[in-house]
Amino acid sequence: MNHDHDHGHEHDDAHEHPAQEDNDVVLTPGEAKFIALRAMLIEKGIITGEEVRRRLEFNDAATPHQGARMVARAWVDPEYKMRMLADGKKAAIELGIDVLEAEIMVIENTINIHNLVVCTLCSCYPRSLLGEPPAWYVSKAYRSRAVREPRAVMQEFGLTFSSDVEVRVHDSNADLRYLIFPMRPAGTEELSENELANLVSRDCLVGMALPGTNLNL
Amino acid sequence: MREVPERLITDIGGLPSEAIPQEEVPQLFWEKHMIAMFNVLWSKGIFNLDEFRRAVEATPLEEYKKSRFYDRRTDGMADLLVEKGIIDRAELTARTQEILRQGLPHHANP
Amino acid sequence: MQTRNPRIFSPGDVVRIRDIGKAGHVRTPQYVRNKVGLIDSYVGLFENPEERAYGRIGCEPIPLYRVRLKQNDLWPDYEGSDCDTLVLEIYDHWLETVTSLKEPQ
Repeated sequence: MNHDHDHGHEHDDAHEHPAQEDNDVVLTPGEAKFIALRAMLIEKGIITGEEVRRRLEFNDAATPHQGARMVARAWVDPEYKMRMLADGKKAAIELGIDVLEAEIMVIENTINIHNLVVCTLCSCYPRSLLGEPPAWYVSKAYRSRAVREPRAVMQEFGLTFSSDVEVRVHDSNADLRYLIFPMRPAGTEELSENELANLVSRDCLVGMALPGTNLNL
Repeated sequence: MREVPERLITDIGGLPSEAIPQEEVPQLFWEKHMIAMFNVLWSKGIFNLDEFRRAVEATPLEEYKKSRFYDRRTDGMADLLVEKGIIDRAELTARTQEILRQGLPHHANP
Repeated sequence: MQTRNPRIFSPGDVVRIRDIGKAGHVRTPQYVRNKVGLIDSYVGLFENPEERAYGRIGCEPIPLYRVRLKQNDLWPDYEGSDCDTLVLEIYDHWLETVTSLKEPQ
């Protein structure tokens, strides 16, 4: 497990901070507020720095690869697939993945139905399984448009489906967290389970990419 | 006529919007730390997720529209902790201002 | 605390997502209110977030269902395919059976 605490802050232009002439980073009001809040909570004995550090390590272990491992296993093992579709949380735990969400529902893509996940009301996402969602997933633009014009949204990401494929959007508005189970690409019969997992990117697991086509793993 | 409750500011499904920003925005160090602290508070039952969402929903609309995701988390958490009498808002504001004034390094650890 | 008897819906039941006119924290988005769909599945019993949001925890859990709706029914100007759908989770007290309306295809 690698921690990137020690290298300097890297800001790209996409961030909302003004450009700096030297390498100093800008302390934002949000970060200052967090630092103050943490100090106050520790002083009052509500939390300890150690508890936060431990949870940070736990969170760092959650990555999209954990979801990809489940997908790959389900591709090669039909019984595991059945168990995974029945109870995603138990299936994750079976592979040694520590999951905290109450329930994870795995939704299978088929040749007739393509599934896409969004949380219009906030940003629900199976975080303890996959880590933090991408910026686009929590953007207001995605939350607003994915339910109303999913095909136009997917097209912005390079994904299109013919009109006889049903596009089914899942609004993660209550207690379930979703994982999309993509179809196994053709021509992958010779690949090992590990190689199969490497075909499955983070975006495949919310329905915004297809395995093997997204090089941004 | 029955008064219709106002739409929650977070209830934006179907509202018009713009192109979806696709660039990868890595989590900042403080953001990761803040999420971990949020998780710890939630696991300890200091607040629950529904209370947190309700706190975010109380943000003034104009502020919500301009807000960044991680700042909303921090603000929602702070509002809730003040509401529950766990921290004092004036003290939080004063300490935040002091930190901004001093420009403490990002990697300050407790 | 709620003391109503929850209805039991079955997959395939035609339901309307009522607008119960509730202020404050709710998890039923505006865009599905007063819309008709099908019960996709029963999810289980969960504590009502409308109570939990105000610190009222440990109340009797209520049934939660996944409801599937046709996109054409949700948006008058929907531009995708006629077969496109949307599924979301709705708590029991937001639902009512629809007996007289034509069943969505």
